[in-house]
Amino acid sequence: MSRTTAPLALAELVRVDPLARGEVAVLPDPAQRVLRVELAETFDRLARTPAHSLVVLHAEAATGGWSLAAALHVAWERGAAGVVVPRPAMSGASALLARRLGTALVVVDDDAVDVALELAARTAAPESARALRVARCAEELAEQSTVRGVLGVLNAELAPGVVALVAGSSVLAGRAAAVQQREGYREVRMAVNGPGGRAWAALVASLPEAASAVAADVEAHSAEAVLRLARLPLLAAWAQRRLDTSAQAEQERAAFAVLRSSTWPRAAGAGTAHDGQDGAAGGAAGAPAGDEAPRWSTELGWRVEGVNRAVRLERTDLREDDDEPTAELTQLLRAQWGRLRPGWPLVPHDGGWVSWQNTADEPAPAAARRALAGLEHLLADHDLVVGVGAAHRGTPGLVRSVEEARLAVRAGGSDGRATWFEDVGVRAVLARVSAPGVAEVAALALPQLAAARDRLLLAETVAAVLDHGGSLVAASAELGVHRNTVLARTARARELGLALDDPAQRLPLHVACHGLVRAWRATGSG
Amino acid sequence: MSDGELTAEDVPALTAGAMLYSPSLAPSSLETTVAWLTDRLERDGALRLVHPRTLAPDVGCVAVCVIGSGAALADLPPTGDEFATAVRELEQLSGRPVGAVLPLSAATVSALVPAAVASQLGVPLLDADGMGRTFALIHHTAMHLAGLPVTPLVVAGATGESISLRVPDAWRADALLRAGIDALGGWGALAAYPSTAGEVAAASLPGTVSRLVEAGRVLLGSSDPDTVVARLAAVNGCRRVGRGRIVALEHLSRPTDATIPTHPSSVVVEQVGPDARQLRLELRSEVVAVFSDGSLTAAAPDLITLLDVERGVIAPLDSLWPGDLVDVLVIPAHPVWYSAEALTMVGPASHGIPLDHPRRR
Repeated sequence: MSRTTAPLALAELVRVDPLARGEVAVLPDPAQRVLRVELAETFDRLARTPAHSLVVLHAEAATGGWSLAAALHVAWERGAAGVVVPRPAMSGASALLARRLGTALVVVDDDAVDVALELAARTAAPESARALRVARCAEELAEQSTVRGVLGVLNAELAPGVVALVAGSSVLAGRAAAVQQREGYREVRMAVNGPGGRAWAALVASLPEAASAVAADVEAHSAEAVLRLARLPLLAAWAQRRLDTSAQAEQERAAFAVLRSSTWPRAAGAGTAHDGQDGAAGGAAGAPAGDEAPRWSTELGWRVEGVNRAVRLERTDLREDDDEPTAELTQLLRAQWGRLRPGWPLVPHDGGWVSWQNTADEPAPAAARRALAGLEHLLADHDLVVGVGAAHRGTPGLVRSVEEARLAVRAGGSDGRATWFEDVGVRAVLARVSAPGVAEVAALALPQLAAARDRLLLAETVAAVLDHGGSLVAASAELGVHRNTVLARTARARELGLALDDPAQRLPLHVACHGLVRAWRATGSG
Repeated sequence: MSDGELTAEDVPALTAGAMLYSPSLAPSSLETTVAWLTDRLERDGALRLVHPRTLAPDVGCVAVCVIGSGAALADLPPTGDEFATAVRELEQLSGRPVGAVLPLSAATVSALVPAAVASQLGVPLLDADGMGRTFALIHHTAMHLAGLPVTPLVVAGATGESISLRVPDAWRADALLRAGIDALGGWGALAAYPSTAGEVAAASLPGTVSRLVEAGRVLLGSSDPDTVVARLAAVNGCRRVGRGRIVALEHLSRPTDATIPTHPSSVVVEQVGPDARQLRLELRSEVVAVFSDGSLTAAAPDLITLLDVERGVIAPLDSLWPGDLVDVLVIPAHPVWYSAEALTMVGPASHGIPLDHPRRR
């Protein structure tokens, strides 16, 4: 028996027509060999079925109810490879029985005689059936546009074997069981080269041991053919995914900029007119009229109708003249954000990223806070700080909330917790103070402080003391140090020229300290 | 039931036995007949229940039963004289006075009616019948197998009309009667097989009426399924194929044919316990076959019935639900029904199951 005449396995046969058009109800042993096809129209005929036949039920033997149960029993007694039954004779209980008896059961909608003839042709020419199977598989692979889709086709095709896409030691897609050494399974590996012919990944299939050496050869050959076919669609899908993600992020960034520029002047001008009900005419071309969200925002999957609460993420070390974050970081963040906060967009904006929660009505304050919990790992991993705006209605409300979030993040600390605009209040004014500008002034106006090695500590301490109206106890509690330490630091600050007690200097000094803290934290000096 | 007598006290047991042999019947459909029979036996006293051999061989006998639909009988109750009328008209047709009656089939309502008729006519009831259970057609009898003609026969209806019939081929009788019975209101009182006590003794199945009473007493005497099955085994050879839970009811599960006017359905029972098998019961107007994991385990003419394990009573076929725990019971028919000729008439093939009966494999 050569490879070309090795009989087909059931798993191969169900992948080609006519059985591929049917439905596999039970397939307990996909490696079962099919030596011939038997069209059984009477139970007498059925009772003479040779072993390893695939029995196609017809006429009297396929009248439904008891007939399929009886046919399954006879097939089991005769060691048949399986039973093919027309759908009208099929029932759920029969599938249960087939599973119990360990007999394969396939349901077909076509005429049983046609099915039997076609099956006979397949089993008579196994190699042509295998070629058909590969062709069919190629068609299915060509329809896939995602890595997941390609691996899905491979796993269905090579079942009960499993397939994974592996790079180095990590599984990129597919079923991880494929890379585990399992008893009774062997591995077939196919390298997948990236652009330029460099090794990029490998497709690994774990297949059940074959019954014979010839069968093993046949199976390995057909598995390799299928894996080889999958390489190109896989590369295409991978490249497409990378392109898509970058393009999508870029499109959203631009879209948000348009949305903001068309709405922001009004939202800012609204001031007291809460919820953007100022009625001012829209600005830029294509701008939405009133609160209405532009149509293209829904095409991007954004929801802005209802109440929006914006969140801004920034790198801790962000400077005002910094460029936009790199596309790679944006891509990574979008993936992680999508898992943590499904349905919340993440748009690169103004050196950081903007996201928002959209709800029909304003959620309770506790619920809103809960929605922002659990982000600590993400923030720590990428060294990010978060500011949260207040909840406002409609597109102008969203833009306003984004601006509030930006103020909150600037006004807040870098302790890994989110800063809420509602908590910041008027202190947000300080966020408008240009930190580098303050640092430049300080270098001239407070040269001794600017030159001191502990300047950040001193600035933080003075800011805290002034925040608490001169109370050393309250300041020490906030800073987490002893009162005497605060006392010592303020004394040193006085020596360096910070006139805390001079009413005329107190306000500029207070503002300057907040600016210096931000500037020196950002530059890491001090 | 003292020896050779049937009293009003025996009626509940007779009824319970009649139900065992007709699991598709709702108990309520028997109420009128039960009341009628009880009333007669209370008024006229005990009825003589005799073996055919105890009568003189030339005593005239007729077989009596309800023909048509049991549901129609419940809707259109008898006026009371239909059966006596049918017997009297048959006496005239056959020219032989009737000295005893026997049930055509000792099961369902047809087990009760002959007793009421015998009481009405003042003649003994024979402890014998033609089927030993119930079959669909009136020539499915041991008498027919033994060569006794089914006709002349008379069917009398609640409308006061009657049909008399004479056919050379017994199997034509049902076909000819069907339309007439519809016109009579769906059921009729049948008197057929005019014969002598000697012929009946040789051709009928003896002891079947008293066996019904005994089986009924077993069913009324205990609600423990194991006790019921063990005691029934002693009375009628009943055996349990398996105990399991109903997992599926399949209606119209296979194509119907024109000969028997009922819809085929299936009940699937998953056996409980370590050696669990799937039992598939094929239904017509009764359970006609049981497949165990697809292998034919019992089939008509075996009587197959379901015992509700939780309540210890026979489960009527129209009240089955997925999840019910049931015992599948098989009661063998009289040996006469397992001959090749009889199996052609009432075996699995007659219900569209062209497989060998398990007893003939």
